Amino acid sequence: MKILDILRYAFSAIKLRKFRAFLNILGIAIGIAAIVSLLGITAGLQASITGELTQGLSANSLIVMPGGDSSGQDSPGFSIGLSGSGSGFNLYINQTSDIESLSPNITSAIAIIQRTGRIVSDDLNRSVTIYGVDYDAYAQVYPSFSAESGYIPVNPQNDDIVLGSRVVDPAQNGTQFIVPGDDVSLLWLNATVLPPVYENYTVQVSGVLGKVGGGFGLAPSDGAVYIPLSTAADFFDTDACDMIVVTLTNSDNATMTEVTNLIKTYYSGQVAVVSSDVLAAVLNSVLSYLQLFLVGIAAISLLVAGVGIMNIMMVSLIERTREIGILKALGMKSRTVLMIFLGESVILGFIGGVVGVVGGWVIANGVTWVLGSGLLGIGGNLSITPVLSPLVIFGALAFGVGISVIFALYPAWRASKLRPVDAIRHE
Amino acid sequence: MSTIVEAIDLRKTYMLGKVPVEALRGVNLKVEAGDFISILGPSGSGKSTMLNLIGALDKPTSGVLRVGGVDIGRLNDNHLAEVRLKIGFVFQFFNLIPRLSAKANVELAMSIADMNSAARSKRAAGLLNAVGLKDRMYHKPAELSGGQQQRVAIARALANKPKFLLLDEPTGNVDSKTATEIMSLIHKLNREHGVSIIMVTHDQKLASEARRTVHMVDGEIESDLVN
Repeated sequence: MKILDILRYAFSAIKLRKFRAFLNILGIAIGIAAIVSLLGITAGLQASITGELTQGLSANSLIVMPGGDSSGQDSPGFSIGLSGSGSGFNLYINQTSDIESLSPNITSAIAIIQRTGRIVSDDLNRSVTIYGVDYDAYAQVYPSFSAESGYIPVNPQNDDIVLGSRVVDPAQNGTQFIVPGDDVSLLWLNATVLPPVYENYTVQVSGVLGKVGGGFGLAPSDGAVYIPLSTAADFFDTDACDMIVVTLTNSDNATMTEVTNLIKTYYSGQVAVVSSDVLAAVLNSVLSYLQLFLVGIAAISLLVAGVGIMNIMMVSLIERTREIGILKALGMKSRTVLMIFLGESVILGFIGGVVGVVGGWVIANGVTWVLGSGLLGIGGNLSITPVLSPLVIFGALAFGVGISVIFALYPAWRASKLRPVDAIRHE
Repeated sequence: MSTIVEAIDLRKTYMLGKVPVEALRGVNLKVEAGDFISILGPSGSGKSTMLNLIGALDKPTSGVLRVGGVDIGRLNDNHLAEVRLKIGFVFQFFNLIPRLSAKANVELAMSIADMNSAARSKRAAGLLNAVGLKDRMYHKPAELSGGQQQRVAIARALANKPKFLLLDEPTGNVDSKTATEIMSLIHKLNREHGVSIIMVTHDQKLASEARRTVHMVDGEIESDLVN
């Protein structure tokens, strides 16, 4: 029997039991969608981090963060996005001038305060990351810190604030809830007093950044609010900072190592000093493990779907015993009967795979949109675009078809081995 | 005339649980091309076993059974399937594929024989026309009467130009008027188109319509008479 005729016949059998086929397809599609969406999101996260680091942070800078240990560069033990790591050790804003004087190779050292808070205006109330930075110095280190509308104020005479593009346009569809000149309130939850209270102050917006992505606290990001460093120190009632970014005269290894050691010595080894390269490598390896773990779980759901297919095929086998007997009486070879059953599983697996890939893509986009929009009170400062490579698409399809076929092998083999003399008299 | 079926000391023993049952005890039979024979017998006489063996659905325990010149006792499953391709089965319960139209049922037999799509479509239409179902080609079996379904089954049996038609109680499941029509179609195929017919039945009257009747009792041929 020709392959096309086999597939056509298999398809006619599938059409007969639409709901059953639908359940099979659904099982495969859910597994594939889980794999594709997780891969898409984590790959997007990786691309976003790498992009932020390579675009936002020049190769000749080092980031100093509290919480390091003597092994320093190899395992930075950083606490990005978290403030007040609880170790009792702090970096202080006024240490930047000390650091600048450590080596002639250092051109600048800038302090950054980072807190999670909320921005509230007439039309908007959402979670944001608030950065206290020295506008001039920050813009020199990060070229992407430039206003698309309004302007970036000159320190320290003007303490107006600058917003990331996603803060004013959460849906990223051009609807801006805030424009330069508007007054907004910033809030943060002060838990150092009992009971905790919301501290807030009202300030004018002077500028909005262009779209830059990001959101990991290492470079300007779409979900961030920038306030002057001195204002942040007052508002958050602190003279500590969360990181110090050190810019060097050049990026060769000797210079980087020399300055790293000087800074570590200055802080008695209680800091982590990392370059953008190292940071990217570490984050990527962490994400790779996370990806492997998540996709492994998703793959198990596909196995469950496979068992479901096997179950349904065994039932189908009994129902269709007589049909198999007829086909064999008409001269069909056992091999062809096997191919018909496998053909059915290929069709189901393929449709499930296609639905799963499309569904996974939609889910990945939905999840990253929610993460970026700040709805549900989570995220809000992450700007991720899911990444789906052709390898993932075809790999997922092949996996869906493969699982479907593997679990159909046994029922198909049983079907092919039915004795025609018995099968044709089966009631 | 060539021989289409030849049995020499054909034996078949089944195990019914642990008890061996001798369904055939040394059957000798020769059927020539163009013949119309009936195998008659009560249930338990071995006629169904004969049908299974002649139809290459099963293999004999011992003895020789040549179907179209080849000894089916020596064939593997694949080769048995090839032998069945050249046998036109017609069953008591029609055994059409319910989800396929009359025409698709006939075409299915030809697609199993690797015939291309255009040729089988043409031939299926021709065969259904010949059995008087020109207007019912695209009906599913459930939309056809018993007699019409049996005509589809006959058209399907003829699809791959079989060496002979093997009928199993072909009128056992239709009313007497329809039975007469089906039998006259079978006679016509035999007389006008030279199609060889082997019919298995327990119905004395039906058996007597054949040119020759083989009467089986207890796994042996009791009589072999020309009507």
